[in-house]
Amino acid sequence: MTPLSRLLAAGGGTRIVAFGREGALSEDRLRADVGALAAYLEPLAGGRVALHCQDAYAFAVGLLAVGQVGAVAVLVPSRQPGALLRLAGEVAGFLLDGEEVPPEIEGRACVSPLALPPAEYTLAALDREAPWAELFTSGTTGEEKPVVKAVRHLEDEVATLEARFGAALGAGTRMLATASPQHLYGLLFRVLWPLATGRPFLRTPILHPEELVPTMDEGDFALASTPLALRRLAERAELTSRAAHCRAVFSSGGPLEAGVARRVAETLGAPPYEVYGSTETGGIAVRQQWAGDEAWQPLPGVATALDPEAERLVVTSPFVSGGEPADAGCTRLATGDRAELLPGGGFRLRGRVDRVVKVAEKRLSLPDMESRLREHPAVEEAALVLVEGPGEPRVAAVVVLTRLGRESYVRDGRRALGRELSGHLARDFDRVLLPRVWRFADALPRDAQGKTSVRALEALVTEGTTRPERLVFEQEPGRAVVEWRIPPELAHLEGHFPGHPVVAGVVQVHWVMSVLEELLGTPPRLTSLEALKFHEVLGPRDHVRLELETEAREDATRFRFRLIDAAKPERTFSSGRGSCRAES
Amino acid sequence: MLETEIKRLIVESLALEDVNPEGIETDAALFVEGLGLDSIDALELAMVLEERYGVTIEDDPEMNARIFASVRSLAEFVRSQGGEARGS
Repeated sequence: MTPLSRLLAAGGGTRIVAFGREGALSEDRLRADVGALAAYLEPLAGGRVALHCQDAYAFAVGLLAVGQVGAVAVLVPSRQPGALLRLAGEVAGFLLDGEEVPPEIEGRACVSPLALPPAEYTLAALDREAPWAELFTSGTTGEEKPVVKAVRHLEDEVATLEARFGAALGAGTRMLATASPQHLYGLLFRVLWPLATGRPFLRTPILHPEELVPTMDEGDFALASTPLALRRLAERAELTSRAAHCRAVFSSGGPLEAGVARRVAETLGAPPYEVYGSTETGGIAVRQQWAGDEAWQPLPGVATALDPEAERLVVTSPFVSGGEPADAGCTRLATGDRAELLPGGGFRLRGRVDRVVKVAEKRLSLPDMESRLREHPAVEEAALVLVEGPGEPRVAAVVVLTRLGRESYVRDGRRALGRELSGHLARDFDRVLLPRVWRFADALPRDAQGKTSVRALEALVTEGTTRPERLVFEQEPGRAVVEWRIPPELAHLEGHFPGHPVVAGVVQVHWVMSVLEELLGTPPRLTSLEALKFHEVLGPRDHVRLELETEAREDATRFRFRLIDAAKPERTFSSGRGSCRAES
Repeated sequence: MLETEIKRLIVESLALEDVNPEGIETDAALFVEGLGLDSIDALELAMVLEERYGVTIEDDPEMNARIFASVRSLAEFVRSQGGEARGS
C-alpha cells in the first residue's frame, strides 16, 4: 500500500479509483481533478476550507486538493443553514458539490470540486505533521469542539486498518459503503483506506441500503455500513446469492444487535466486523458477534486501560487526536464510555458516563440540545429524554412554556408550536435527532430528591396525550389558576358520545377536586356543592382555564370555581361553589 | 381508498403525534418540508409498505425519491405493483 501522505507523489494510470452511477474514474483522472482544484485553491494555503459532498469521489478530490495546498478541510456534517452560517465567518471558502449554492452562504467563495478547468499543478507528498481535516463529532455542531486530524493520524490509522483487515479483504476488492465520508468512519473506510490500497470505492450516496444490491453483482466487494442499514439489508433474502462476492462487512457508529449480526453473517456469508471508536480517538477495537455481548479486541497499536476511578476506558494510540502526549508519538485520551477490562487484553463496554446518546448512529449531547431549546422565547425550561419508538429510539422533549409560549400554544395549537420548536433546533441538529414527542407541562417532573430524573421524564412522556396537559399552575393565598389543554385522545372522552366527544360534567368536577387536593395537601371530602352549572360543551382541543378561589373556615374550606376557555375568557364551560373538609 | 389507508399507515406506524390522517395532504411533501419526516422514518415506512402491500422497494435512488415524495406517489407505486388487492 502507499502511505497516505505519498498517495499522489507518484503514480497514475488507468486503474479505477471510484465507480458508481455517475461513472467510473481512473487514477489519471483523479490526479488531473486534484491538480485542477489545487491550482484554484493555491491562494488559500494555510487557511481553512469547508467541504461537503454527496459524491464520495468529489469529496476525495476536495480533501486531496486541500491537502496539496497545505490548507485544512473542515468536514461539515451537513448542509444545515445554522452550520453553514456559523462557518461562513470562519472559513476562506466552501467546496460543495451540486448545482446550487445554499442561500446562507451566497456571496461567499463556493465551488464544486469537479467544476474547474484543467490546470498545470505538480502534485507532491504531504507533510505528516500538517493538520488536514477538521471533523465534528457526529450529530451536533453546536457546543462540540472540532477535532483536528493531522496527516499522520489518518495515515497511521489507514495503515492499521490494512494490517488488521487487509488480508480478509484481498487486493482490488471494491468498497461499497452507506457511511458518509463527512464523518471519520466513512472518511477512513469509504475513501482514504481504499485510495491508499488501490481498491475502488463507491462514489454514489446511498439513502436506501437496498440501492447497494445491484453493485454487489459486479464482483468482489467489502461493505462499510452502519447498524441501521445492516438491519435493513439483513432482511433481503436475495442477498444470499451475492454472498460469494462478499469479502467483509464492517459496522460502526453504534451498537449492532447480535441478531442482525447473525443474519448478516447468514445472508452475506461474512460475520460483520463491528468497529468501536470515536471521532477523537479514531478506531479503538473490533469484534465479531456470535452470541451477544462478545468482548472487544483492541486494534493493532492501540492500548487500553481504565482511568484512576476504574470507570472510563482510556485509549492510547497513534491516531488519537486532542489527548495528552504518551510514548512513541502516541496520544492518550479518556473516552466517555464505561468499560471492564478482561484478561487477555479485551474489554466489555458498560454504557456512557454522561448524557450523550445515539440516535440512528448520530451522537447527541442532550444538555446541548436543552440549552439550545431554552434560547427560544417560548421556552422557559426544557428537559430531554430518549424513548423507545416504533423503530429506533427517539428524543422526547418536556417543555415548560413562557407566557409567550403559552399564548402561541393557545392561539396556534400544539402541533404548530412543536413544529416551531423543531424548526428552531433544525438549524443546528440533524433531523433524526429532533424531538419526536413534545410534552408541555407547568413544571418539569421531579422525583423525591427534587431532581428531574430520567424515570420521571419517561413516565410523563409515555403516559401519552391521554391526560390533560397542564400548562399553568399559579397559586397565591386563597386563589389558584390552572390551565389545561384537552387532548383529542383524552381517556375520558371515550364513549361520550360516539362522534361527538365531550368531557362529562363529573370529570370537570373531579379536576376541580384534584386541584383542591393540591392546595390543601390532603384529599378533600366534599360536603356541599351548589349552583353547579354547565354552560357550554367542553370538547377535545379546548384549552381550559380554571379559576379557583378558596376561603378557610373553622372546620371547612369554602370554594368557588369557574372553568373557562383560555383563548376566549367570555366562554364559560362550568361554574359552581361548595365546601369541603380535609379527609380525616 | 388507498390514499386514505396510506395516510393512516403513516400516522400509526411512525407514531406521529398531533397529526390526523385526514390532515395529511395527498400531494404534500412527506420529507423535510411538509410533513417533516426524516431518514429513520423513510426506512420504517419502506418496511411497513413492504409488509402491508407486498411491494418491493427498488434499488434506484432517483426512483425511490419520486416514490416517497408524497402520499399520492406512494399510492401510485403500490397500485403499479398490484399491491392494492393485498392491502384491502
